[in-house]
Order: sequence, then structure tokens, then C-alpha cells
Amino acid sequence: MKNKGIVFFLIILAVVIVVVVALDYNASKPDQQPANPYAYNIDPFSRIDTVLIHYKESRNLAISFSEPTGISFRGDELFVVGDQKLQIIEPTGKLMNEVSFDQKPTCVYASTENIFVGFKKSVAILSRDGAKITEWNSFSDSTVITSIAEKSGIVFVADAGKRMIRKFALDGKSLGIIEGKSGNDQIHGFIIPSPYFDLAFNADGELWVVNPGKHSLENYTVEGALRTWWQASSIKVEGFSGCCNPAHFAFLPDGSFVTSEKGMVRIKTYKPSGEFSGVVAAPSKFAENSEAPDLAVDNQGNIYALDLNKKMLRLFVKK
Amino acid sequence: MENSNKKSRRDFIRTGTRLSLLITLGAVGGIAAKNLTAEKYVWQIDPFKCTQCGRCATSCVMTPSAVKCIHAYDLCGYCDLCGGYLKPDANKLSTAAENQLCPTAAIQRRFIEEPYFEYVINEDLCIGCAKCVKGCTSFGNGSLHLQIIHKRCLNCNECSIARLCPSQAISRVNASKAYKVKGGFTKDTKA
Repeated sequence: MKNKGIVFFLIILAVVIVVVVALDYNASKPDQQPANPYAYNIDPFSRIDTVLIHYKESRNLAISFSEPTGISFRGDELFVVGDQKLQIIEPTGKLMNEVSFDQKPTCVYASTENIFVGFKKSVAILSRDGAKITEWNSFSDSTVITSIAEKSGIVFVADAGKRMIRKFALDGKSLGIIEGKSGNDQIHGFIIPSPYFDLAFNADGELWVVNPGKHSLENYTVEGALRTWWQASSIKVEGFSGCCNPAHFAFLPDGSFVTSEKGMVRIKTYKPSGEFSGVVAAPSKFAENSEAPDLAVDNQGNIYALDLNKKMLRLFVKK
Repeated sequence: MENSNKKSRRDFIRTGTRLSLLITLGAVGGIAAKNLTAEKYVWQIDPFKCTQCGRCATSCVMTPSAVKCIHAYDLCGYCDLCGGYLKPDANKLSTAAENQLCPTAAIQRRFIEEPYFEYVINEDLCIGCAKCVKGCTSFGNGSLHLQIIHKRCLNCNECSIARLCPSQAISRVNASKAYKVKGGFTKDTKA
């Protein structure tokens, strides 16, 4: 009788120990933890009010690049660079031509007569059918070419490494540089902490340049004098944040700006005055830790975003 | 005469005891030598797996946590509008306490030249909450990141943070490569 009592007590004790251990183990699982006092919720900034989203994604074009880097649109053709090649693609996705290089391009720009392909320290000029015309190699060791544009026979090359825009005649003759410095101390040259330095001409022939460290877009004369600028520095959707935004931009036919950002990846539009207009693609459209997509706009104002992570061309049309 | 060639029981026990002691001594010496030369392992965070959940501040057995924010200066943009330093709704880009994201003011903002600012972590004040890391990763270059500082870590058999880490970013690493630092260089985090 006495032994039965001891056995019964030991069984009860064992059950209690097992229950306590199980409860303790379960309580320390990640999903059973009390609220974290240090949690930093950035969802309010990545979540965009649908009223602000003025575009919808209409189609995607798969591209055969393992590392796409840049895109341009001219006439009725898309020009995509990456890996060690340039592809000329119809908006339907049909491959028209492919040109191979011995190094990886960083950017591309197509004018009415030529295709300019930028590499880290050189520029190749091709005819519109892809035949190589010439190559410029006379850049410095610290040059990092990130964007090219051409107007009236003058080629503007954005050099993020040297923080300047280099000007060339079509024959390769240097026509000087633009450093973005202003005499009245309104701006302090181009602030480029990482290799994101874009430039483009709008429909009125005005040269606009991103000053990414200042979160501003600046308009220069061809000679390099600052004419006007606008700035949008904010973590909120209306502005740009981080060290180097906007990473890329393009113009809509009405002169509005389309911008893409790195960090919290999103594509937005701004009126020609610089006033925030709306959102093209919210951060939820992109994979976590994505890179900023390069942009191109067709004649109808449709926006092509080169998604470097999904390796596809994504077409956004106005709702 | 026959008995003189045989070992006595006492001799047998004595020899056996000596032999046992010798074997034991050799075994202990061997184990000690192995422990001295064996590779040691310590706990460390993979900054590319970390999701900045904030649990490192509350789950470590140390108070404050042995996890600290460190700064990869070569990745930093030296931004004025720093997502790791400033609250998203900061009324001004300044060092005012109400604008700082860090709950312990462990980040020092130093003016370099217009418009560059350097951000230095005071390790003694940092509690490893990762708020700055989340801000920097979400809005900037991700140069701020968490690491277990081994002079503060007890190197528990079962790391209490690793057990709870939702992204399983903490694992044992060889002590000869005890840190998984982003970028090319960092520097002493003591301000």
C-alpha cells in the first residue's frame, strides 16, 4: 500500500515535469513571443494608397540576359544591354538584332541615327542596325560611365566616378565637362556616393541631370550653366530618400518625369515643375532587396521598366 | 624454487596500478592537447539573412545584448537624410533627440563636408535593437548591420537568440573567422 503511494506520487511528479517543460518550450518559440518593443514597422512607407497608383502593369517581356543593366527606346524599338551584348527588341518582344561585346555594358542610349553603348570606362558607337562605328577609350582610371544622351551632335556622358558630365562631338573630340557647380553656392557639384548618375533630354531639348546625393533633378544649358532645379528629399512617398535617388529617370511625352528608386524600390511620376504626381509601381511590385529598374518611355507614354532581379521588361500603362 | 619465478600478487597489483595511471595520464594529456589545438566555434549573425526583427535586444542572456550594430563605412552614402539615424517623420534633419530613431542615442552624427555626414556607433550604448539597421537597409545602402561582439558574448552552448531568430541568421562559425562584416572595412565602434 505504501509502495503504491510512492509510485503514484512519482507518476504525478513526472507528468508535472513534462507539462512544465513542454509549456516552457512552447512559450519560447518565435511565434509565441510577447510583442517586441523594438520592432520598427516600415510597412506604412512601403504600402502605397491605391488612389496614388496611376498605372497598371499590362505585360512582361522575358529577356535572355543573366545580368541586364540598361534600356533605351527610340522609334519603335527597345534597346537592352547587359551581360556582354546589346539586343534590339520590338515592343512585341520579337528579337530584331543582337550585338556582342568583349565587356559588360553599363548603359545604352539610342538616337535617331546611332546607338551609344556605355561601358565602365569606354563608349561604343554603333549604327542603328548594330554595326560598330567607333569606340572612345580616353577616360580616366576612376571613370564609371552610367548614362549617355545626345543632342544636336553633342554627346553627354555621365561619369559617376569623376562626378562630372563629359561632352563630346560625334567624332570623339572632347568639348569640355559639366561639374554642376554653381557660383552662387546654391548647389555643390554632383553628389554621387554610389554609381547612380542619370541624365536625359526632354522633348524641349533641355538637359536634365540627377544629383542623387541631393535628391534633386537639375536642368543645365548645353554649356553647363544651371538653369533650374527641383528637390524632393523625404522618406515619404512624395520624396526620395537614401544616398542616391532617384537612381534612374526618363521623360513622358508631356515633359513629366518618371523616376525609379533604389533601397525601397518604386517608380513614380513628377510633373514638369517637380511636383509629385503619382505612383507607377509600388514597392510591393518588386522583390525584396531589388535593384532600381532602368526606365524607358515609348511615344504613347507607356513606361518600360527593366527589372534587373526578375530579368524581364515590365510594361506599365496609364489606368 | 618454483615460487621465485612467479610475481607476487602485490607486484601484480602495483604494476597494474602504475600502468593504469600511465594510460590515464596519457589519455588526459591527449585530450588536453586536442582541445588546445582543436578549432573553436563561436556564434555569429549573417547580415544578409538578418531581417532586423529586433529580438537580439531582448533575447540575449546578456544585458545589454552582446549583439551590436556595426558600420561598414565603405558602403555608407554619408547621407544627410539617413534612414538609419532619423525617424521617418523627423521634423528636421538634425541631431535633436526627438528626430533620432535610436532608442538609446547610440549613433553619433558628425558633419564631414556639405552634404556629407558620418554616422558612428557607440558600442557601449547600443542594445542591438536593429532599428537603425532596418532603416538603413530599407531606405539606404544597408551599411549598418548587426554582429555578435565576442568580447561581450558568453558563447553559450545554445545561443538564446539563435533559438528564436525567425530568419535563422545566427549560426556557429569558426573562431578564426568570427565576424561576418559587410563591405570592406569598418572601425572601432567606440565613439
